[in-house]
Amino acid sequence: MIKRSRKQIKKHRDGDIPTGSFSDIAFLLIIYFLVATSLVKVKTITADLPAGEKQSQPQQKKTDIVNLRGTEIFFNDKAVSISELNDRLAALDLLDQEDSSKRVIMLESTKMTSYEIYFQALAAISSNGGVVAIVDGEK
Amino acid sequence: MKKLRKKKRRKVPVPIASMGDIAFLLIIFFMLCSEVSKDKNDLRVTLPESTHVEKPEIPIVARVSIDEDGVIYFEGKQVESHKDVEWGVRAMLANTLSDDQRHVQFKCDVNLTKETFEPVLKAIAEAGGIIEAVGEEFKD
Repeated sequence: MIKRSRKQIKKHRDGDIPTGSFSDIAFLLIIYFLVATSLVKVKTITADLPAGEKQSQPQQKKTDIVNLRGTEIFFNDKAVSISELNDRLAALDLLDQEDSSKRVIMLESTKMTSYEIYFQALAAISSNGGVVAIVDGEK
Repeated sequence: MKKLRKKKRRKVPVPIASMGDIAFLLIIFFMLCSEVSKDKNDLRVTLPESTHVEKPEIPIVARVSIDEDGVIYFEGKQVESHKDVEWGVRAMLANTLSDDQRHVQFKCDVNLTKETFEPVLKAIAEAGGIIEAVGEEFKD
């Protein structure tokens, strides 16, 4: 009997969801995302490497060639530094050439050429408007 | 003597009822506008340096990376060889129309030799991708 009366006394609670702290939660979430987000800032060079076909016969017109032999750079068989290579390529005015076939610069490298030197040569050619043609090594 | 009238200061209530709505709208806005990085960030890669690098303004359609051990990753997943990269890029570029949709990000460790990275570069080129080689700005 006593239990029943207690049950009867029990008030029905309201089903309201407390929304007062929602704005605080939302702002905390915003702050969390702002602090935790790291913006991606990669920097690149754009290298135009068209898919080409293998040529059995050499071209009639002499194409400029960059050779990478280990840590050394050669431009048309002359040893150059990366800044000199940049100057030589700039002197060719490749950016003014409308015909893309006249902008081709051959890039040859030895087996032990590191990506560091390769990247710098690629960057120098691309920034001066050159189209890179990779030379396959003899097998 | 006139009695100085006390000015009643009106209480100006700041409407804070809509603050929660504004905050949630801001969250939704940021969530929709944010682009989740698809790049694999935990790669052990030392990037090369150059004076010519710049922030690309074109969208990247695919990401290829080679870590310091020579392991190749395509879109963050490890692949067996450069052939997988070629087929992957080819599949991604199948429906592209303009050159702006052909840019492929390429990340490679500085110490790797030609035998490791050049087949991958050729594979991207063969598949029709324009290479966006990632590097860092040259520091003196």
